[in-house]
Parts: sequence; structure tokens; C-alpha cells
Amino acid sequence: MAPLKCMEKDYPLIDSHFQSFCASHAIFSFEDFLLYDLHALIASADNHSSSNTLKQGIDQLLSVIDAKLPSLRNGLQLLQDAECNKLLLPTGFQGIDALLGGGLRAGQLTELVGLSSSGKTQACLTSASTVAKQGGSVIYFDTGNSFSPQRIADLVGQTSDYVVDNQAELGPLQRVMERIMCYSVFDIYQMFDMLQQLKINLKSKIVESDHHVQLLIIDSISSLITPILGGRGPQGHALMISAGYLLKKLADDHNIAVMVTNHMVAGEGGTSKPALGESWKSVPHIRLLLSREYDSNVCNISTLKHPSVASGRAAKYTMYL
Amino acid sequence: MEKGGVKAWIDGDETAHDMLRRISAVRSTLLVPPLHRVPLRLGNVVEIVGPSPSAKTLILIQVAISFVLPREWNGVPYGGFDHSVLFLDLDCRFDISRFSQMLTHRIMEGNAIGDCDKTLYDLCMRRFLYARCSNSFEFLQTLKSLHYRLKREKDHGVGVHLLLIDSIGAFHWVDRASVFLSPKETNRKKLFLQSVSEAVVQDIKKLLQEHPMLVIATKSVIFGNTYSTTSNEVNRCSRNVTRNPQQIQYREYMPSVWQSLLIFLIYGAPSILAVLCYT
Repeated sequence: MAPLKCMEKDYPLIDSHFQSFCASHAIFSFEDFLLYDLHALIASADNHSSSNTLKQGIDQLLSVIDAKLPSLRNGLQLLQDAECNKLLLPTGFQGIDALLGGGLRAGQLTELVGLSSSGKTQACLTSASTVAKQGGSVIYFDTGNSFSPQRIADLVGQTSDYVVDNQAELGPLQRVMERIMCYSVFDIYQMFDMLQQLKINLKSKIVESDHHVQLLIIDSISSLITPILGGRGPQGHALMISAGYLLKKLADDHNIAVMVTNHMVAGEGGTSKPALGESWKSVPHIRLLLSREYDSNVCNISTLKHPSVASGRAAKYTMYL
Repeated sequence: MEKGGVKAWIDGDETAHDMLRRISAVRSTLLVPPLHRVPLRLGNVVEIVGPSPSAKTLILIQVAISFVLPREWNGVPYGGFDHSVLFLDLDCRFDISRFSQMLTHRIMEGNAIGDCDKTLYDLCMRRFLYARCSNSFEFLQTLKSLHYRLKREKDHGVGVHLLLIDSIGAFHWVDRASVFLSPKETNRKKLFLQSVSEAVVQDIKKLLQEHPMLVIATKSVIFGNTYSTTSNEVNRCSRNVTRNPQQIQYREYMPSVWQSLLIFLIYGAPSILAVLCYT
């Protein structure tokens, strides 16, 4: 909400005469100008005595708009950005990676949906350990105290030679564990605070540059959003959609892959459906459904929504315990 | 009939696949279903509604490809419209690699050799312009500055004749919840959602006057069938679309000012297709 008064010192054409002309049309801020009909304003400026200066003021505001926006990109530039910056991160499960065409893609928001104990948290922990092993930083928002350092150490120790036998060999394992930053988040406002702080840190590059943040995991985002949904007002849904946009913007601007988990609720006819409702469906880029056969290590994963893969395509993977 | 004539007549001239390929190369119409059922002209505004996921963005991508391809290239007919396309991504979910895949496939299909001509591919990719907005103010800013940007594009090369918006109801909840504080509170009878929608519609109308183009917008259904409580803030009407014995209820949530801009509305669900016409 930038009042026009404050813009005067940077843009001298927006002087007090122009401001009083705008005030006569109930335009007091930049946002008011955006909502007003531009042609009606120009027509009214024409009828005014000092129409030239007023029109120059209007042009000045339009050039401010033009300068603020990024220029239009064409398909080749987008593709080049996608190929150079938006890399694929393997999750550590061959089945999931095969389904996703290589792994989680930086710049995209992937959602894992599943019933309780279907392996969502295990998938998150495994992805975190895989990415950390390969040198990237991971930020883990844990909403239900389900993050387990012992499990991460087990996973890291399984597929490489970071064996924790004696204190002297703790070095490599410790370095991997240090790349995973875990935060406990218990309500959505705290999550917004932390995401804004992360945005500021990334923008000013406070984090050391040899370990880029590559993965952001929120386990589970539905436990943060469900308490505020419901009720008659739109505020809950608005917060949910804003959280989605904030995550997608972070992912796109800083080339991070974001992974969130969601639980399931009762749907029509006794089946289960993902929580968070219809509006949430258009937020993630990719939605995957996890399920686990009873008392078995084999998990099924199928796509609910993916830009390139038909929904319903399934794969199996085995969890190592 | 002659001896071999009966058999030849039964065998037919060509398969349906060959015929489709021949027609789509020769006749430049929007053969992309479901748009092939509606007569479209520059200046029309079409809305494609459907639950998520129902391939709405895929329809937009296919239309975009049929617009950026030239009518013919190196002797090979592609049947495109030879224009530039602008894609406004309000959902911030567009995947350029999907577009690239489909374009490559289309070029290879039309080519007799079956390979992808790099020059043609680059030309088409360059004609696809993209912008993303993450809130209503950015959307309004983009629309207001579009007039000058489109003029610049036209001076450089081909003009933009297709505007794709994905999806128009993206900021609905955020706008509904916004309390827009203004010093002159008493003058503000209208709600923020109403003001934003009116501003968007006005900008699009003015844009269409200067640059005639076809506007196609997608919208996802955000109120399921079991939504019971309704607030009186937004002018809403529920439509019953009947097709065969099944009855689908789809609740309109965009303000009536947007409805007045539309020419056609296409409702797509996984198995149902209906076209509602506005006059």
C-alpha cells in the first residue's frame, strides 16, 4: 500500500497538484490507481485545465508499473532456466524416482498424501538423507515431533560407508547430519514467520554458499492448515492459498524442491480422499498417493496429479527398516 | 462395378488417423477438443471450467501450439495460425518441459522424415510468451502494462493474438478475505473482490479493443457438491448441467461482471462435457 505522497520524492511528476486530482477520484495509493479505470482517468484529465502535466503524471505511474514487473519471457528462456537451474533430486527410493522421471524437481511443490502409517514421514526422512548425502542442505519443518535423528543416521549409514563404530569416524556422518536443519513448527503463523525469515536469509545469502538449500520438507502441512479451515469466513482458505503461493515462490526463485505431506479424510461412499479440500487441489504441482500393505515393507505409490504423467500410474517401492 | 472396384470401395481410401492428419495440416481451425464445437473469433472470451485434475492446462497448451506453428514450413503443412501467444500463469504451476514435449511431438508428427526441425522449434518457442503473477495486484499491473508490451512485440515480429489465463479464479479466496483499508472508508461500498474483478474485466475489455485477440481462461471448481453454507458476499448462482441421466452441480463463484465478459463457457469433467453459451 504505497501512498502517492511517498512516491513524490522519487518521481517528481507526482506532485501535490497531481495528488489532489487523484484524490478527487478517491485514488490515494498506488493500489487504488491499479483498481481505477485508466481510460476514465485519462478522459477526466483531458477535461482538466492542466491536462498535460496530469497526463505526464499518469504516464509516470504507468512507467513505474512497467519497471517493477519482470519482462515477458519466451519459451526458450524458460526452458533454459529449467534445464540449468531446476535440477532433479533423487528421493532415495527407486520406485518413486522412476515414477517422477528422475526425482523431485527443484522449483516444484510435491505433495504426498496417504493414510496414517503409510510411509509419508519415512519418505520425507529418506529424501532428506539422500539429498544431504549428496551435498545439499535440507530444511525440515516438523509439525508432529516425528523427526528422528537416529533414523537419519541409519539411513545414511546403510548405503555408504559412514559407519559409526568409534568416535574418530564421526566426521563424515556429522557433516551430513549438519546439513539437515530441523525446526519444530506447531501453527501456521509460526510457519509463515519462518518462511519469511528463510526468504530474507536466502535473498541476502547469509547461508554459506557451498551448501545450497535444495530441499524444503513440511511434515505435515495439513496439521497446520486444518485447524484454521472451516467456519464461515474465507480467512482460513485465504491463509492456505497464501501459504501455497509463498512456498511456490520460494521454490521458483531459489531453485528449491518443496515436499509437503497431507493426510486423508473420509470421502463419499466410505472411501478416503485427501484432506484440505478442493481449493488445495490446484496448489501443488505434483500429488502422489502413498499406501502400504498391512504388515509389509512394500509401499504403493500412484500419481493423483502430474503435468506429464497420467494420473493413476503406479509404482512399488520397498522401505528398508 | 468393376472387378477390383467393390473390394477397393470397401477397403476405403484412408484410415481415420490419416484423414485427421491430412485435415489438421490443411485446414487451420482449432481442432482441439472441446474447442472444436464452438465457433471462435478474435475478441471472444472463453472460459474452461473443470475440477482438478481435468486436463484444462493441457487444452491451453494444445491451443497455444496450434497458434504458434506456421501454416507451412519447408514445404510441410502444419496448419497453424502463425501468431504469438501470451500465457498468464496465475496458478504459478506451468511446466515448460511439458509444452516443449508436446511441441516436439507435433512437429515430428507433421514431418515426413519424423525428426524435429530445430529452427522451427526455436521459432515456435520464441513465440510463446510467459508471465506469472502471484496476487491480484500483480495481475492488474501486468494487464495495465500489457498494452505497451504487446505493441513492442508487434513491432519486433508477429503480433500476439491469443491470451491464455491459467486460472482466473486463483486469487478468489485471498481477495475475498482481503480487507482493503482506505482513508475514505465511507465511499467504499463495494467489496475488494468486486473492485478487483471489475478492474480486471475493464482492463481486458480495453486490451481487446486495442489488440483484438482470443482470450481463453481456465477456472477450477472450488466448491464441491456438499458445500452447504453460502455467504451473501459474492453474487452466486448454481447451474445444473444435465447430460444423460447424471446431474452435475457446479457452483459459480466468479462475480457477475466476469460472467458478462464471457462468450462461451466449457465445463469439463473426467467424463462429461458441456458447452454453455452466453449471448
